Parts: sequence; structure tokens; C-alpha cells
Amino acid sequence: MREVYIIGTGIHPWTGFSEKVFSDFATVAVDGALKDANIEWKKIQSIMAGIFIYGGNAGHLTGQYLESIFGETGVPVVNVYNACATGSAAIRMAYNSVAAGETDTALAFGADVSPQGFLTAKSDNAVQDRDVIRWKMTAMPNPVYWALECRKRMAKYGTTEEDLALVKVLMSEYGSRNPDARFKKVYTVDEVLKSVYVCDPLRLFEICPVSTGAAAVVITTDKELISKANKPVKINATTMGSSMYGDPTIRISALSCPAVPEAPMLSESYSASRQAYEKSGIGPENIDILELPDNSSWHYLVYLETCGFCKEGEADKMLRDGQTKIGAKLPVNPSGGFSSHGEALSAQAIWQVIECANQLRGRCGERQVKNPKVAMAQTYGLMGNSGTTIVTI
Amino acid sequence: MGNMTNMVARIPNLVDWSTGEARLMSRKCDSCGTYFFPREHYQHRPGCSREGVKDVLLPKKGKLASYTIQYYACPPPFKTEKNITPYGIGLVEFENEKIQVAGIITETDLKSLKLGTEMETTILSMFANEEKQEVVTWAFRAVK
Ligand SMILES: [Zn+2]
Repeated sequence: MREVYIIGTGIHPWTGFSEKVFSDFATVAVDGALKDANIEWKKIQSIMAGIFIYGGNAGHLTGQYLESIFGETGVPVVNVYNACATGSAAIRMAYNSVAAGETDTALAFGADVSPQGFLTAKSDNAVQDRDVIRWKMTAMPNPVYWALECRKRMAKYGTTEEDLALVKVLMSEYGSRNPDARFKKVYTVDEVLKSVYVCDPLRLFEICPVSTGAAAVVITTDKELISKANKPVKINATTMGSSMYGDPTIRISALSCPAVPEAPMLSESYSASRQAYEKSGIGPENIDILELPDNSSWHYLVYLETCGFCKEGEADKMLRDGQTKIGAKLPVNPSGGFSSHGEALSAQAIWQVIECANQLRGRCGERQVKNPKVAMAQTYGLMGNSGTTIVTI
Repeated sequence: MGNMTNMVARIPNLVDWSTGEARLMSRKCDSCGTYFFPREHYQHRPGCSREGVKDVLLPKKGKLASYTIQYYACPPPFKTEKNITPYGIGLVEFENEKIQVAGIITETDLKSLKLGTEMETTILSMFANEEKQEVVTWAFRAVK
């Protein structure tokens, strides 16, 4: 496999519901990535596009829609969906195309426009699409799943409501320093604990909402482009995992889960991260920055364990001891995390990788981690989707 | 449970009340021993021959493995005649079957919920349809 570098990154800042359409957001991100890479559009030899599911034809063929705006060149365009790990899939395909020698320079992008109102069932056939059942029969929006797991964790490891609130406090502090974040208000533990329960034990400020945003990266193996680039960042591994038999986690959209664990919790993320460690030869002990998927405060804690940054049940202590702060041993989510951004499904995994890359390039202003060399982005998607990307400078 | 002869499940093949008590409709794979709920949510052990999958009913009672209290109304297509918020959602463990199943908690003081509480499967009426039938789902309640 050839060495592959990120040479350009672009983001459309995260926002709420918008009258604008996905291509308005995507073009901003892709323009930014091309400009940062210092290359013209015609250098792109393949396009790996994350799709978004509420966009009809445009949503399912985002790559073609985007290509026609920048000018159709006949290159391979693949549109991919892996729930909230969609962007991981796009980056992985771009990486594989370049590393394997199919193409030299590839674009991966995702843009997601949140629908107005609630996310809910997308079909009416409960036999084929069991997602219908949780909406019609058990009234379980996504945070219910996280709350069920969070309650188990609190009973098993003694995670407290203060721990859950402290995650939001940290994330809001970092989000306030990130111009691309959607939420910039800083909260105290007291304020978080005064926010209403959405699904006990999780409160309003401890779960992330749905957002709109776009992100794009240009990756290449072309030596000339790499030499012209401003601080290229090497991709050491970019992997995806799916669930393993016996994983006790109740997965979003499922109505049941195994009572006797035979695999780790969030096994899709366990798998993706272990594949990345193996492929890169880099382990948790070498990583200077971690961007993890804090869909809720529970995720922040459990992901430290799932990805091997501490033993099971020890994440709360890491948090309380300040080990996950900027300036400490393992800065976690210096971007402000999903808590400060909200989910923009097909874009968020790419944005996480961009945060990692730009931290390594020293471009993160008030939230900059001092001199990082190795960073890791970890995603979480419903129904057993996950991706891990490790980058170095 | 209301008048059982005049009830219809909003989605069929999830809960059975033909014997007079509410039981969840599962499937068991005789080859790998795994129970599935709903029946079509196959989750075979890798390498399983997938032979001998048969319909089974889960026991009526299980233990509360986790729960949450949802404070906001669930958006459509969820539908109830009366607003049920705040409502409990429980994860009930059927020990011998090695499976935990989620469902709305009904007829139970939510403040009294504790992990390990013995729960039983029941029927929750959500609304009446045009034929004046009660449209129902399964639910769990604490055993008194
Ligand atoms: Zn089987």
C-alpha cells in the first residue's frame, strides 16, 4: 500500500435548520478543501460521497450532484451510507483507492441538511424494516437507547449525574472556542444539572441534537502535491467495524439485546479501533488527541473504554481527574464534540478527521493542543457502524 | 388488559394474548440456541447452520435490567389517545432465554422502579381504530 496524505480540509460551519440546500453547504466545504490543498478541481481522480437520507434523489446521489457543480470529469463517483459513520466510509474508500494505486488523488465529502422537525420512521413495513416497530410500538427515540445503557453503567460503575454534567461543561468550554461549532455557550455543572431530563438519567444538555453541516478532505499520494501542500497529514489507518455476535449493547432501532455478553460493548467500535491499532502499529498510549462521538455524555465515557484508553469502568475517574482536558494527558474532543456541534450525519465523521488533522497542523486557535503528533477520530453509527482514523504529522 | 376479544395489535406477530396472558412472540434457533425478538431480527451465531428456527413465546415474567423515563412525547407514527408522558421504557431480562426486550412501562409508579424488579408482560391500549377496536402494543408492569 502507498503512503496517503490529507492535503486539504474544508468545513461549512455547523448550524441548525436552514432554507439552503445540501449543495450550498457541500460546495463551501469542497471549495475550502481544494483551496487548502492548493489544487484545482481537475486534479480530483475519484469522489467518495456520503449520502444523506432525507434528500431524495439529491440525498442519495450527492456525489453526482456535487460533481456537476464543479464540472463533470468522468471520474469514479461512489455514494455511500453507513448511518453516522457514513463519512468514515467515504474517507476509507478514498484512502483505499489511493493507497491501492487505483487513483492518486481523491475527494471525500459529506453534507447533511437536517429536516425540520423530528427524525422518525422512514418506511411502513415492520417485517422488513424493524425500525418501524420502535416508533409505533415502544416509543423509543434515539436518546432512549443511550439512557438505557447509561442507567446500566451508573449501576455497574457508579457513574454519577455530576459526571454526566461535567462532560457537557468541558465540551461547552471547547465548543465556545471553535468558530465552526454550532453551540458556543459555556455551561457550569449546576446549569447542566438544572436542565430538564429528556430521558432520565440523560438531560437536555447531555444529548446532542441534529444539525446541518458539511466537511470535505482531499487526500493524495502524489509527491508533487504533497510537497506543495501546507503541512500534509499522514493517514496511518482508516478502518470500519461492524457489530459482533453477543454484543450486549441495545443498538438503536433494535427491540432486544443479548443478556449474556459474549463480545465487548459497542463491538463495532471495538472492532474498528483494534483494526486501526493493528494496521498503524499505533496504540492508545501513543495518541495525543482523541475525537470521539459524544452523542450523549454516556458515549463520552464508554468510548474511552471501548477504544482502550482505560479499563472498563475507569473513564469516570479519567474525566474527574482532568486527564481528558486540553493540556492534560489525553485531550478529548478539543473541537467541542458533538455536544457543541450536533449531528450532521454524513458530514460528522469527516469533520472529526479534519479536527484531528488541523490540530496536528497547529491551526486550531484558542482550542489548540500543544504540539500533538498523533490523533485519532472515532465514529459511532446506529445498527453496528463504526470507523476509526489515525493520523500523524 | 381490556376486553381481549376486541383488541388488535398495531403491528402483528409481536405479542400474543390468545391464552389469556400476554407473552412476547420470539423465535429460537435450535442450532445456535439464540432467541430473537422481534421474530425476524435474526442474530445467529457466526457459522450457525440456521436450521431449526421455531416460533416460541417468551415467559410472562422477567427482571428489569434497565429503564429510562421519557419526558417528551414520542413523535409520530407513535400514537396514543391520551398523552402518556412522562412514560417509562424498560429493558426486561428473560434469564433462561438470555435476552433483554424493551417496552413501555405501564401501571407502575415510575419513582418506584429499581433494577432487578420483577416485571410482567402486559397489553397497553393505545387508541381505538375506525372499527372501534382497541389498538394495542406490549408493555411491562411491575409484579404486585
Ligand atoms: Zn442459529
